[in-house]
Amino acid sequence: MAFFDDDVSLMLRYRDGDPDAFAALYSRHKGPLYRYLLRHVRNAGAAADLFQEVWSRLIAARARYEPRAKFATFLFQIAHNCAMDFFRRNAHSRRSLHGNDADAQLNEAEAPEDERPDRVAEFAEQRSALLAAMDALPREQREAFLLHEESGLTIEEIARVTDVPVETAKSRLRYAVRKLKNSLAAVTEAEPLPLRARAI
Amino acid sequence: MDVGDELYEYLHGDSALSRQYRGETAPQPPHALDRAILRAALGTPVKSPCLAPLAFAASVLLSLAMVAAVILAPASTMRGSDAPRVTRVLYSEPADTRRPSQWLADIAALRRAGRLREAAAEMQRFHSIYPHYIVPSDE
Repeated sequence: MAFFDDDVSLMLRYRDGDPDAFAALYSRHKGPLYRYLLRHVRNAGAAADLFQEVWSRLIAARARYEPRAKFATFLFQIAHNCAMDFFRRNAHSRRSLHGNDADAQLNEAEAPEDERPDRVAEFAEQRSALLAAMDALPREQREAFLLHEESGLTIEEIARVTDVPVETAKSRLRYAVRKLKNSLAAVTEAEPLPLRARAI
Repeated sequence: MDVGDELYEYLHGDSALSRQYRGETAPQPPHALDRAILRAALGTPVKSPCLAPLAFAASVLLSLAMVAAVILAPASTMRGSDAPRVTRVLYSEPADTRRPSQWLADIAALRRAGRLREAAAEMQRFHSIYPHYIVPSDE
């Protein structure tokens, strides 16, 4: 089977009781997963919580694990679901705080915590032109870009992880790439750099 | 350049955009998180898969019993406010929407203040809402 890669073998070994296999898997995927979450939800504290939640779910589900896709697809599918739960919770918190009148202006791409000055400053310190341009992308496009860059997922795998048709995933990635290229070209032409991050 | 060509070049070549992204800083999870997760991975006993259908059946039966209790309860035993109260319970939001790390920090603050009983109660509530959350050993 094409998806029977090294990672799948490690996960099967972990399922069957080999702790070293988990350590190897964790070491291989912790960086990409953490960066995906950090740059997707744009909040260091929430990213750490979600990171832990993803691994916790994987650990809890290990006895039922059966390889049906690449391990990275399996892992990032859990991560996508956790992130979606996070965005839903935050959208709900925002509605609770502002009441139903704010529904019309509700932008799900922005979580309430992103607006807290301490959190924004914490995250802004590490922003570059590219990361700032990524922040400006719609959430779904940013996620497609991150899934490809951090875990090397193909368009078909991105579609599977995010539970959308392949054409939708392709369209999201296409627009993400185009917008990022355009943003970076604009930054290169303009001096000084007009970055929101620098102003924070 | 056509948008399709642009995407094709990005996916199949060593694009400048990918190179630039890979040149960014590569933040890693905090070491404390590494340790907590690895410890949890080594220490969690594997649950037997044969128990899963039983657990599912039990939760279905419990749900049906609760629905039946609400629907079939004799009208004479209901006070006027019973129905809305049941509805509120069924559709109530989670009791606490704090993020896990914030909640754990609050519990730690209770402990530091010597309010150990409250801290223990909060920790019990935390575990009921986040049953899979790996609590660092010093919490």
